This record gives sequence, structure tokens and C-alpha cells, in this order.
Amino acid sequence: MEAVIQKKSEKQGIDEVMPSNEPQDIQVGDKTVGKPFADNPKMAMRNVNVHYGDKQAIFDVNLDIAKNEVIAMIGPSGCGKSTFLRCLNRMNDTIESCRVTGQFILDDQDIYHPKQDIVPLRARVGMVFQKPNPFPKSIYENVAYGPKIHGLASRRVELDEIVEVSLRKAGLWEEVKDRLHSAGTGLSGGQQQRLCIARSIAVSPEVILMDEPCSALDPIATAKIEELIAELKQNFTIAIVTHSMQQAARVSDRTAYFHLGKLIEVNDTKRVFTNPEHDLTEAYITGRFG
Amino acid sequence: MNKSSQNVTLEKVNQSLARRYRAEKRFRAYGIGAILFGITCLVVLFTDIIGKGHSAFFQTHVYLEVTMDSDTLYIDDPTDPQQIAGADYLAVVRASLSERFPDVSGRRDKRALYALISNGADFELRKKLEADPQLLGKTFGVWFLVDDDVDTYFKSRSDDGEGGFDGRLNEKQITWVESLINEGVMESRFNTTFFTSGDSREPEQAGIKGAIMGSLFTLLVTIALSFPIGVAAAVYLEEYAPRNRFTEFIEININNLAAVPSIIFGLLGLSIFIGFFEMHRSIPLVGGLVLTLMTLPTIIISSRAALKAVPPSIRDAAYGLGASKMQVVVHHVIPLAMPGMLTGAIIGLAQALGETAPLLMIGMVAFVVDIPGGITDPATALPVQIFLWSDSPERAFVERTSAAIMVLLVFLISMNTLAIWLRKRLERRW
Amino acid sequence: MDKLHLDKHISQQFDMDLEQLQTKLLEMGGVVEQQIIDAVKSIENADSQLAEKVIQVEDDVDLREVALDEDCTMVLACRQPTASDLRMVLTVTKMTRDLERMGDEAQKIAKMAISLHNNGAAPGGYEEARHMGALVQQMLRSALDAFARLNVEQALEVARADKQVDREYKSAMREIMTYMMEDPRSISRSMNILWTLRSLERIGDHTRNIAEHIIFLVKGYDVRHQSVADIENKIKGA
Repeated sequence: MEAVIQKKSEKQGIDEVMPSNEPQDIQVGDKTVGKPFADNPKMAMRNVNVHYGDKQAIFDVNLDIAKNEVIAMIGPSGCGKSTFLRCLNRMNDTIESCRVTGQFILDDQDIYHPKQDIVPLRARVGMVFQKPNPFPKSIYENVAYGPKIHGLASRRVELDEIVEVSLRKAGLWEEVKDRLHSAGTGLSGGQQQRLCIARSIAVSPEVILMDEPCSALDPIATAKIEELIAELKQNFTIAIVTHSMQQAARVSDRTAYFHLGKLIEVNDTKRVFTNPEHDLTEAYITGRFG
Repeated sequence: MNKSSQNVTLEKVNQSLARRYRAEKRFRAYGIGAILFGITCLVVLFTDIIGKGHSAFFQTHVYLEVTMDSDTLYIDDPTDPQQIAGADYLAVVRASLSERFPDVSGRRDKRALYALISNGADFELRKKLEADPQLLGKTFGVWFLVDDDVDTYFKSRSDDGEGGFDGRLNEKQITWVESLINEGVMESRFNTTFFTSGDSREPEQAGIKGAIMGSLFTLLVTIALSFPIGVAAAVYLEEYAPRNRFTEFIEININNLAAVPSIIFGLLGLSIFIGFFEMHRSIPLVGGLVLTLMTLPTIIISSRAALKAVPPSIRDAAYGLGASKMQVVVHHVIPLAMPGMLTGAIIGLAQALGETAPLLMIGMVAFVVDIPGGITDPATALPVQIFLWSDSPERAFVERTSAAIMVLLVFLISMNTLAIWLRKRLERRW
Repeated sequence: MDKLHLDKHISQQFDMDLEQLQTKLLEMGGVVEQQIIDAVKSIENADSQLAEKVIQVEDDVDLREVALDEDCTMVLACRQPTASDLRMVLTVTKMTRDLERMGDEAQKIAKMAISLHNNGAAPGGYEEARHMGALVQQMLRSALDAFARLNVEQALEVARADKQVDREYKSAMREIMTYMMEDPRSISRSMNILWTLRSLERIGDHTRNIAEHIIFLVKGYDVRHQSVADIENKIKGA
């Protein structure tokens, strides 16, 4: 035993990054393990395949998102989690080479139906992006923009109210109420991201998609956003893509693990982070490759 | 790595260090040299132009007492505007000159004497009388323009009367001029004519107002057409057009058009606007159309670059809220791209302002005395005016050419400044 | 074992940290095992010197417990382990606690040995103590082995063996009670041996706990407070 310890301590010192440490003996199965389906799905996705040109980005994904749940999507870079998320409100439509097949049902409505207009869809399924991206306009204008283009408020007073309620829900009201008409881009990163959240909840969506919403923020701002997600859960269904496994563990009810475009495992977050079913999930969340 | 190998490395690094420093210095010197060369060229150019042109902003005048004698003028009814318009003012000026130099006799000498004064002197008197008919019969002093030869002589002579460039002046004329100078009635005054009148065969009466107005009308047509068309084309190509062979073909051709020599556009304008649509020659409308064709590629390319520079995150944000394509473009993309597009447009227009070749082709090179009042009046443009003057034999036109170049440069610099200012003003951080 | 890869982290330092935890725990287990062997021996032979040694070793065990806990805290704080790594760290802390308790029990046995040495031998029960001692020592060795190899089957064996320890303890207790009834003067000495047996039984329980922790570590579900049959069913069912 002593000899072993001696040998180990020689190697000690710095963390070495191993380039390809992926367990070779683990096969990616075709079937998702865990609980991909929900009893009361808000959104139901079946047999989703996404191609970018000749390259297939997503393979046969089946997943339900339950009402008022927070579902976290994790996985190594390029695993298709962001692509999948962006399919949920057809943000991929703007990418020409992107081809999406499969069924996406939002409350019994096929969102990829040829007659489905993406404008009302995006009013129902809002999105928050990785980088805080407020419009270069005032804070007020930022929040009021969505309601304005959708005609949600007929009078100025109503609009004011929507703006205030949204900012309150996003936990930003107290910080900005005195400078509603100063530039939204002048806020700090965390405030900007909360402004973006306020902007997306101003159109009262049912589902909010968050694409790595905290990756550009410091830990304090991150904590505030996470707190906010916990509050928003009361009224919204949230799907969040994150690179931080701890964040997924903290904020989500269920966690979906994507690997090379396949949905490997979906399980209760508690389960995933203490005893994942699939070896790949285990290997990823314990930091054995990624 | 052990100590000795570290030392070896260090030694080698130190050896190469001096060489590297030298290379670094040389490299920097090349850059400084290039900049110095550029600055020198610029300084030489500016010194030359300003040195030649600054004198054109001053014009020699001579003070003469004239008597508005109604007999000399052949006016019997001062209330008749026709008579006042048709009166012989030249006779008054001549009388005044004869009075000043009484010993000049003989037709030839007299003509030489009269030639000292610009032949535009009578217009000046007529204007005075028309403005105030009371002056009839009175005697008063007037500052007259002198002839361009006298002007050149006056400007080039030193204070003690030496070294004057006599040009076409004969000896007698020089003595007369010298006597006028000695009497102190000849002096240099600010050349308002240069800015207020159109072109003329007589240098002392030639001005650039006609050319400026011509350029202005041409540019107005160009702005009004090229900016909206260019922006619309850029927005379509950038935001709407599908990426296929056809749009690629269009894109390549727009880039090619930007490199086409401007005279080709002139030929195109000549054959299409004048030949086919039978528009008039020499008018700013046609000039503007031709320059529009010429600046469009520049504006489209720069606008597309500006549109491309709008961060995709802003588009995503707007799309994510459910904005339609048009809303995204109109509410977000165009406002954000506007500074870039404006800058591109202004630089394109500045280029158009300085363009001569296509205007030559469509006849805006004509000798136009009248100041154009609209886009359909015959006109010439500033660079064409410069081209015309630089070709004229009179020595006084040399300084006017340089002065006109200075004016053109001022316009170009102020347009570029405007572009920078607009960019600074409208640019927003995101 | 089926899906536990404790090495192959991207961070090799993490691998080493976890390995250190395992190694240190096994070392501590070895110390405690020796402690138990010595304690039982000191009872058998009424060897007060050996008993003193057992009591002294307890300090070492305590120090090892503290050090291991500290290591676990560091891993938790620095690495935020998840899944198997998390279970490994949790298992190590729990096992450390169980081992420390075993050490305490061994210390108690040693104190009984000193008492027996001072007050004279008990009327009986030595054979049972030796037997139970050998049994729990075997169990502990097996449990540590199961931990080192992450062997669920072996851990289950250990859990099963605890039943036997309990049975042995009950029959021994009855026997000693008859001694006590026969000769009330020997009660205090008999109590010493009874306490020893009691401690050995406790050690058996802790060993069973360790076996359960190992099953949690490998399988990922909590099997505490369940019958061995239930545990077996659960493992097979999953």
C-alpha cells in the first residue's frame, strides 16, 4: 500500500487534461433510458431528427416537457442540446441548411405544421439567450417591445403596467424603476440578462427556453437568475440548456442528457446527479470526459 | 529540464535577441517611411495648390470717379427701365478713364487704356443705377474690377514695382497701371465674384457658383436615388434573398460594377439617358442618374457590410419575441446598420462629387455662364469646371483652377467629416 | 462494479484524491481490524499489556477519522462530486464513522480485558468470545475487501453473516446468564465477558452498515434498515 501511495504522489501536482478520455467500451444505445415522458406534457416531441446539410445533429429524440416543470438539458459541446432547444420555438428556421423532422406538439398543436405561423408560436414559447442581448434601446422600450408588436396593450397605461409587472417578475423593478428610460445596454451583465427575461415574459409566454442563460455571468448574477428560475416555475414551463451541471442540479426538476445528438437519459434531477442510469451520463457528470 | 540545458537555451535566446531587435526596428522603420512618404506627398500637393490658388480669393480693383451723365448714357427718361437697361455705361467708364489720363490719344492707345478695366464694369454701373435711379447725373467713386492681365501684373509685382508679370500688357499700359498704383487707387479686395458668379471667358469675372450649384443638383439627384435604392437592394440581398446561384451571380456582378471605370458609366448614361430616353444634355438630372449608377455598387457593398455587422444576437432577440422578418429588419437591423450605411453612402457621394469622366461623356463639360436653378438647367460640375479652367490659356485661370480645387477639397473633407460625425453620433454600443 | 469507474477523470488530481480516500480508509480499516484481533486476544489471555496497546491505538484511529473527514470535506468543496464520485465520498465518511465506532468497541473490550485481568477470570464465555471475535474480524476483512473491489456480492455475504453474529450473541448471552444464576459472585466478571460479547455484536452491526454503504456506493440506492432478503431482491430487480 505504501509503495502505491509513493508512486501516486510523484504524479501529483497539477491537473492534467487528458485529450481523449472517453470510455471506449460504452456504447451509445438507441433508446433513451429513464423517464422521457410525462403525464401532463406541455410539449411533446417525437422522433425528432435534425440535419445541418448532410450532417445529422439530432437522432430520434423523444421527450416530453411537463407543465410547470424546469427541465435541464446537459451534455458535452456539440451534443445537440442547444439545437434541440432552438427547435422548440423554431429558431432554427432562420438557418437555411437546417432541416427538422419529427413531431413537436405544444398543447395538442403541431408547431411545425405548415399552417402554423411562427409569430404566435414565439409569443407562446419565449426564449432567453446565452449572451444578454438587450436591444440598444431604453429599459422600458426593451420590455415594451414584445407587447407592442403583438398589440397586447391598447393604451399607454396598460403598457406601463405590463412593463412594471414583467420587471417585477424578473426581480429587476426595484433596481431600475428610477431609470426606465435609460439605455438597457448600460446595465450590468446580470441585470441585462434579467432584463432579457423580463422582455420575454412581457408577452406572457407559456414556455420559456433558456439557452445557457448564465454562461456569461458572474456567480452572484448567476445565483440571482437561478433564484428567478425557481420563482418563474410557478407560472411558466422552463427548458434550460446549461453547461454547468451544478446549475442543472440546482434549478431543474428533470435533467436530460444529450450525447452526440442522441438523448441518452432523462431522469429526475435528483436521480441523475446521485445515481444516473446510463454509463455515459455518469461519465459526463462526474467529469470523466466532456 | 535541468540547469545546464536551461543555460544553453538562455544563451541562444540572448544571441538571437540583438538580431530580433534589429529586425523589429527595421520593420517599424518601413512603416514610418511609408507614412512619411504619404505625408510628404500630401504636403507637397497642398502647398502647391494653396500656393497657387490662395491669390484667387483676392481680386485687384481700381477706384474711379464716374459721372452718371445722362447725355453720355443716352438716357432722357430715367423712369423708363428699358432705357436704363440699354444705356451705354461703358462710355461713362471710358470718360472717367480719359479724364484720369488726359494725354492718352489715338484710338489704339485709348483702346489699350480701356482694356485695363474689366469689360464687365458696365454691368456693375448698370446694377448700381437700377438699384438707385437717383444716382443719375451724380458723380461718385466706384471700385471697378481690373482686367485679368492687370490683376496678374498687380499680384505678381513686388512693392517697389519690380518683377511684375506683364504678359499681354504693353509698356504704356504698364506705365498707366504703375501710375494708378502710385496714386493708391488700386488695391486687392476679397474676390466675391469668384463665389457669386458663373463661368466666364474673362478670368476676373469667372466664378464657381454655377459649378457648385451644378454639383449640388447632381448630388441631390444622386442622393435621392442611390441611397434608397442601394439600401433597399442591400437589405433584400442580405436579409431576404435565398442563397443560390442567381443571388451569387448578382453579388459577383455588384462587386464587379464597383470596379468598372467611371467613364464606362458615362458612356452608358450617354447611350441610355440621352440616346434612348432623349433627355437633354448637360443637365444635372442626367449627371445625377449616371453618378447614381456609379455609386450604387459602393453603397450596396458598404450597406451590406453594415447589415452583416449587426450582431446576430439582436436578431435572435427580436425573432425570439415573435417579431416578423420585416419588424426585425425595420425595428432593429436597419437602425443599427444606419451609421455604417450612411458612412458608406457619404463616402460614395464624396467619390461622386469628385468624379469628372462620366460627366464629360454626358456633356456636362459645356461652357455654362448662367447659374443653374434646377436639375433640368444646363450646368457643369465642380471637377469639370476645374478641368475646363486648367485647360484655359489665360494665366489668371491657373490660380482659379487651384482655388476651385481648394473649394472642392473643402467640400470633400467636410463630407468625410460629416460621415465620421454621423458614425460617432449614431453608433450605439450593444 | 458494473458502472463504477473511479479513475479516468479528466482531472487526474481528482482521480488521485479519490484513490487517496480509498487507500486511507482501507488503512484505517486494517488498523481497526488489528485492534479487534488484539482486543479479543487480550480477553482470551487476560493480557493487560495487549489491552493497553489496543487502548493506545484508539487514539491513532481517532486521528485517522478526523483526517479522512477533512479529506472528504476538501473533495466535496473543491470537486463538487456527483453520482458515483459523490457516493464514494459519502460512503467514505460513513464508513469512517463506523470504523471509528468499531475502534471504540474494541477499546471497550480491551478495558474489559484489563478488568478481567485485575479481578480474575470469568466462569465461561471465552470460547464464544473467541468465536464471535473471529467471525466479526472475518466479516470486517471481507467488508473491506468488498469495498476495495466494489464487490456487491461480497458485501451481501457480510450482511448475511451479521445474522449469524446476532444468533451467536443470543446463545452466548443465555449461556452466561446461566453462569450468573449459578454463581452470583461471578456476576461482575460474567458481566465483563457479556459486555465483550455485546461489543463484538455491535462491531458486527457496524460491519453490516459498512456492507450496506458499499451496496449504496456501487448500486446507488439506500439499503439501510432493510432485511437482507429485501436487499437481494432490490439488487436483482434493478
